[in-house]
Amino acid sequence: MEKPTVDNKKDNRFELLRELLLAEDRDKFTALSEEIIEKEKLSKRVTPLVDEKIEDLRRNFPEYFGDTITQTIKIQIRDSQDEVVEALYPIMGKLIKKAIVSEITKLSDSINKTIKEKFSIKEIFTRFLKGKKNDAGVVLNEIFEPIIEEVFVIEKNSGLLSGSYTRGNTADKDMISGMLTAIKSFAEEAFSKENQNLEDIKFDNFHLTIKNYKSIYIAIATSGVLSGEFKETIADNVHNLAEIILRDRTYLADEAKLNLLIRKHIIT
Amino acid sequence: MIAKKVLLVGNFGVGKTSLIRRFVLNQFSEDYISTIGVRVSSKIVQFENQEIKLLIWDVAGTSGNEKIPKAYFLGASAAMYVFDLSREETYVSIDNYLESIKELSGLKDIIVVGNKKDLLTQEELESVINTVSVKIDLITSAKEDENVENAFLQLASQAIK
Repeated sequence: MEKPTVDNKKDNRFELLRELLLAEDRDKFTALSEEIIEKEKLSKRVTPLVDEKIEDLRRNFPEYFGDTITQTIKIQIRDSQDEVVEALYPIMGKLIKKAIVSEITKLSDSINKTIKEKFSIKEIFTRFLKGKKNDAGVVLNEIFEPIIEEVFVIEKNSGLLSGSYTRGNTADKDMISGMLTAIKSFAEEAFSKENQNLEDIKFDNFHLTIKNYKSIYIAIATSGVLSGEFKETIADNVHNLAEIILRDRTYLADEAKLNLLIRKHIIT
Repeated sequence: MIAKKVLLVGNFGVGKTSLIRRFVLNQFSEDYISTIGVRVSSKIVQFENQEIKLLIWDVAGTSGNEKIPKAYFLGASAAMYVFDLSREETYVSIDNYLESIKELSGLKDIIVVGNKKDLLTQEELESVINTVSVKIDLITSAKEDENVENAFLQLASQAIK
């Protein structure tokens, strides 16, 4: 079969027309291609760096932003206290209730144990012979045993410490005896009428009992529940100690000797 | 070791507490002094081969209007009156203050210290020394730590007399 004749002239015209019409698009296409190629090249170079930075940020986030976030949260909490309380109340309420129930259960077990022990035939018989203590006192003393935490023998006017006993480590006993004397003097001058003395200071679960004598005063810090009997025993022991010191004033000049005397008469 | 109660008295703002701060490390809160009008600090000093424990009672203000418990002054072995060299009102009635402290404490002598030397020129300082009606024992500057140790050593010396 014979091939149709090629119309070269017509083809060239079409080609020319296409060139004319699409020249601008081709330029844009080329520019876009170059841009994409460039971006891909850049992406290849940048991606590892970005990944590395993201990984670094993930690992060290608390270090980089911890302070700022904490500060922001603090400010947010401070400025929205009501909202915070509303949000936390159901959770905290449950926790507090749980803690109280747990402590009351422990207390109840402890009271049951003590009652069981204290109301045995043997114990009732012993108490019957000794007399004195009431039942509530017996139980409370067993659970919240009173403990002598500190004893200070202090010169009345100067506030200088003559002797002491401590269960733990008191920072600066001299300074404490000075401040105690100052507080005592302040309270006495501010509130007392005539020759009245400050005798009790309570703070937290500590009780400070002060016994005043002519030239000295003795302060005893105790913790726990102080029964009437315990207070009487302490008062008797302190009076005995004071009598010994006031009869033999050399104790006031010899701290080590006085400390031994305090241990002997108050602690043991 | 000998323990002595010593007093530091003077008007508000003359630098008593700054002097003590220079001399000892305080552990008590500042609130105490404003509440009960006194703060007690302790410091052991070496004086003439002797160790002396000073119980320093920093008594707040003695302008006469404040009611300071008299008991604060009892049993003291020495006292230092501090005034501010740059404020005339802190030394204008110094004689009266010293007399009242002597009466309350039973002490015969009181060390007189002019503090805040760093706020005055030499000329101004000389003028103040000539104006003050009593002998000034020491001129100090708590800010520049000048003569602070000497002032307390003098206090220790008076305490063991």
